[in-house]
Amino acid sequence: MDRGEQMSDLFAFNGAKGAGWAQPKPSIEREILISSIPKKLRRKSLPKWPRASEPEIVRHYTWLSNRNFGIDNGFYPLGSCTMKHNPRVNEKIVQLPGMDKIHPLQPEHHVQGLLAIYFEMQEMLATCSGMDQVTLQPVAGAQGEFTAIRCIQEYHRQQGQGHRSKVIVPDSAHGTNPASASMCGYDIIEIPSGDDGRLDLEALKSAVGDDTAAMMITNPSTLGVFEHQIAEAAEIVHSAGGQMYYDGANFNAIIGKTDPGRMGFDAVHYNLHKTFSQPHGGGGPGSGPIGVKSHLSQFLPTPLAGRRNQVEADPKGVDDGYWYFWQDVGENSIGKVQQWNGNAGAVVRSWAFYRRYGKELEKMSEHAVLNSNYLRHRIMNPDPEIAKKIHVMPLNGAPADLVMHEFTLSLTPLKELHGVTGKDVAKRLLDYGVMAPTLYFPTIVPECLMIEPTETESKEVLDKFASDLHKILSEDPDLVTSAPHTTDVKRVDEVWAARNLILKHPGNESGQ
Amino acid sequence: MDQMPNLGREKEMLDVLGLNTMDDLFANIPLEIRRNTPLPLPEPQSEEEIWADASRLLGANITLEDRPSFLSAGLVRNFVPTAVAMLATRGEFLTSYTPYQPEVSQGMLQAMWEFQTMVSELVGLPVANVSMYDASTAAAEAITCAVRVHNRKAIQKGVVFVSEYTPPHRLAVIKNYTQGAEIEIKTLKHLENGEVDMTSIKDAEGCCAVYVEQPNCLGMLDDTLLDIKELIGEETALIVGVDAVSLGIIDPPGSWGADIVVGEGQAFGIGPTAGGPIYGLFACGDKYIRQMPGRIVGLTKDTDENKAFTLTLSTREQHIRRHRATSNICSNETLIALMGAIHMSLLGPEGLERLALRVAANTELTKKAISSIKGIELVDPGKYNFREFAVKLPHLASEALTYLDKLGVIAGLDLGIWWKSMDHCLLIGVDDRTSESDIESLYLGLSEWIEVNK
Repeated sequence: MDRGEQMSDLFAFNGAKGAGWAQPKPSIEREILISSIPKKLRRKSLPKWPRASEPEIVRHYTWLSNRNFGIDNGFYPLGSCTMKHNPRVNEKIVQLPGMDKIHPLQPEHHVQGLLAIYFEMQEMLATCSGMDQVTLQPVAGAQGEFTAIRCIQEYHRQQGQGHRSKVIVPDSAHGTNPASASMCGYDIIEIPSGDDGRLDLEALKSAVGDDTAAMMITNPSTLGVFEHQIAEAAEIVHSAGGQMYYDGANFNAIIGKTDPGRMGFDAVHYNLHKTFSQPHGGGGPGSGPIGVKSHLSQFLPTPLAGRRNQVEADPKGVDDGYWYFWQDVGENSIGKVQQWNGNAGAVVRSWAFYRRYGKELEKMSEHAVLNSNYLRHRIMNPDPEIAKKIHVMPLNGAPADLVMHEFTLSLTPLKELHGVTGKDVAKRLLDYGVMAPTLYFPTIVPECLMIEPTETESKEVLDKFASDLHKILSEDPDLVTSAPHTTDVKRVDEVWAARNLILKHPGNESGQ
Repeated sequence: MDQMPNLGREKEMLDVLGLNTMDDLFANIPLEIRRNTPLPLPEPQSEEEIWADASRLLGANITLEDRPSFLSAGLVRNFVPTAVAMLATRGEFLTSYTPYQPEVSQGMLQAMWEFQTMVSELVGLPVANVSMYDASTAAAEAITCAVRVHNRKAIQKGVVFVSEYTPPHRLAVIKNYTQGAEIEIKTLKHLENGEVDMTSIKDAEGCCAVYVEQPNCLGMLDDTLLDIKELIGEETALIVGVDAVSLGIIDPPGSWGADIVVGEGQAFGIGPTAGGPIYGLFACGDKYIRQMPGRIVGLTKDTDENKAFTLTLSTREQHIRRHRATSNICSNETLIALMGAIHMSLLGPEGLERLALRVAANTELTKKAISSIKGIELVDPGKYNFREFAVKLPHLASEALTYLDKLGVIAGLDLGIWWKSMDHCLLIGVDDRTSESDIESLYLGLSEWIEVNK
C-alpha cells in the first residue's frame, strides 16, 4: 500500500492562489513602493511557499497533530526528560498582552509586573537550590551549562588561575556537559563510574590536579541513584582548586530534601522545561536559568532582576511595597548569552507552575520518587503467573535498593538469548500506546532503557506500563523485532535519510 | 497540588515497596546534607488564584498595544493570525518531546521539514535547520561553523570580520560563543555613509568568515554588500543576518553569494513576548551541512517503503558526539518555529510580499514625517531603509524618550545605550500595524519636545 497518496502535502494546495489569509492593503501603492527600492536590491521571484486557504491550513496542521504523540496522548516515561503534565492555565497566562506584547527594552516602569515575576523566580530557585544568586537569561539547559562554565572560566582567570584547562565529567554524564565545556575551550576528562554505577572517588582523585577547572555532575546520576559521596567529591575537587557544577536535569528528584548548595556545588542550572513544567513543544522552547554561590555572581550575564523599597516619588508599581529594576551585573559580567532577558514566556509559565505547589514543592519530588520506585518494583517483581511466560527478565541498571526519580533497565539477557534489542522493545512499546523510554543512555548500562514516570502519572498507568512490558517480554521475538506495527509509519529507515539527505520539499511551483 | 494523581494513595504504594514513610524513599541521601526545614515558600494556590495573580501582575505592565510604539531593535509588534497559536498549542504538539521516536512523531517531523523548506526558500539557500535560540546565537554559531569549515585553508587562521553595525548585545553573545574556539573577532569597518568599507573588505581577504547584516541594525540597506562575495572569494564564508520579513521584497542573500544566512524568526509566529521564546533562523549552503549546529529533518521511508520523516545527521550532535559535537544545542525553539511555519503557510508568497510592503510603506511614511521636523536629521540620508531608521536629535535621545513616554508614546530606542557616541540618536522602528495616527503622535510629540527645549 502506498500511504504516500494519503499524506497531506502543504505545498500541493492551490485553492486560494497564495492569499490564504487576508491583510489590509499597504498605505502606499504597490508599484510606488516597489519602484522606490533600489533596483539591485529587489527580490526577483517570490519564495515557493504554500498557496493555501485558511481552512486547508487548519486541516493540514490538525492532520499533522494527529500524527504526533505528546504527554496529552499517553504515558511518556522518557528518562532524564521529566515529561510531566503541563497545566493549561499556564498557556493562557502567557497569551495575556502583558506578556505577549512586551518589548524587552521597554522602560522599567512599563514592566513592573514582569520584573516582579522574574524576581520571585530568581529567589525561589535560589531557595530551592541553596545558591546565592540566580539569572534567568539562559534559554536551555545546555545554554545554562555553557553560561555557568563561562562564569567559572572568568573566575579562574580573575584569580590568576587561567591555566586551568580541564573539566571533569563522569562517563554517565549527559552529552551536553562535555559539549558545553568544550565550547568554552576546555579539554574534557571523562572518569569511569564505579561498579555500582556511582561516582568512583579514587578515579576522581587521580583525575584532579592543578589543571582542573571544574567538575560537572548531576545528582541523582543518570542511573537514577543518589551520589551519596557527593560532599566528599566536592571536597576533592575544591582542594585541587576546581569548581563544582551541578547539572540540574534531575532536580525533580530532590526539591525540599537536599540541595546542590548543601552538597558543595558552586553553580547549578535548572531546566524549567523539566522540573517546572514549561512544555517541551516537540524540542523546545526550554529555559535553563543558573544559580551560583556569591563568589561567582559578579560574572553572571547581565542584567538581573533587582528590587528596592518603593519610595513616594516612584511611579505605580505592583502594590507590594517594592520597586523592581534591571540590575546591571557590572564590568566582570560575561555579558550576554541570549540577546534579551531569556525566555520570559517559559519563566512565567514556570512561575505559574511553582505557585501551584508553593512550599509543598517537596511533595512533588516525593511523588516523583515514589512513582519511580513503585514502577521499578512492579517491573522487577511480576506476578508468578506472568513471570512464567516471560522469556527472560531485564537486569536492574543500578544495583541499588532505592532509586530516585528515574531508573535504568538493561535488556542484555533478552538480546543475548533471543536477539531482541532494547530498541526493539522500545519500538514495541509504541504499539501499546505509550512513548518509549530513553534508549541506550547512559551508555555505561548495556541495552539500556531509562525510565522516568514523573509525579503526574497515576498508579493505574504505572501498573499498566509494567504489565505491557511484561507482555512484550513474553511475546514472539519476531513480533518485537519487527515493531512497531500500529503506528502511522512502520520502523523508519534512518540510514537512508542520512545517505540521501532530502532536506526540503521542492516547494509550490504554481506561482512561478 | 491538584497535579498529582497519587496524592492520598501514598500508603498503598509504599506498602508495595515495604516502606513506611515518604521520607524512607530518600534514605540514600546522607543526613549531613539533608534539608531539615520546610522550604520558605508561600502556600500552594488554586488555578483561580494563580490566574488572578498573573492577571494582576501582567496587567500592571504597559504593553505595545496600549500606545503608539516605535520600539523595534530586532523584535516586531506584529499581528499574528489567530489560527497560529490555536494550532500550535494542540496538546499533541505542545506536550511532545524532541522527535527521537519518528514512528509516533511524524506530525512534528513533517512540520519541521516544511519549516526547513520555507526558510530555505525565503533566504535562497538549500538547507535550513529546525531553529536556534535567537538571531544572536544563530549568528554566533554560524561563525563557529564557518571557522570549522574554512580554518584549514584560511590564511588568517581563526579570524572572523564582524560588521561594526552589529548591535552590542549580539556582539557580546558572539564573543561568548567564540572565545573558547580560539576565534579572533576583528571589526569590519563601514564608511561615513553607512556602506561597507571596501578597504576593510580587502583586509578580510583570507580570513574564515565575514559577518554583515542587511538591513543593518539601523535599518539601512547597503547595495554594495551584493558585491562582496566576489571580493572575499570561496575560501571565506559570507554570513548575512537578515530581517526575515524584508525578504518579501528584498533580494535574499542566497542569491548574492551568502554562504550562511541567520536572523530573527519572531516576526513569523509570535509576539515580542518580552524577548523570548523567539527563534533564530539558520540556513546554509551544502558544504556547511556536516558542520552546522542544531537539528535537521530528512525525508526517508519506512520498512513498507512508505514516505516517512526522521531527524538526520545526528552524528553532529551532543548526544552522540559529546565534546566533539558541532554545538551543545539540545532543546531549541521547535514550538515557536512551528508557529512560524503556520504563519508563513497562511501568508503564502503574495502574503509575504504584502506584509513586507506594509512595513516598507510605514517606514517610508514615518521617515518622511519625522525627518521633516526642523532640528531632526536622518543619520543615513539618501539610503533605503526597511522597518527602522536612525535620526539625530538636538538633545539627548533619552530625554526625548522620557518626554514622549509622558505623552503616551514609545518613541523608539536610545542608541546611546548601544554606543555612547550615538546618545543623541534615536532608532525609530515601525511594523505592519503602524497607523497614520501613530505616526502623527510621534511627529507631534517630537515637535513639541524640540519646541519646549529651544
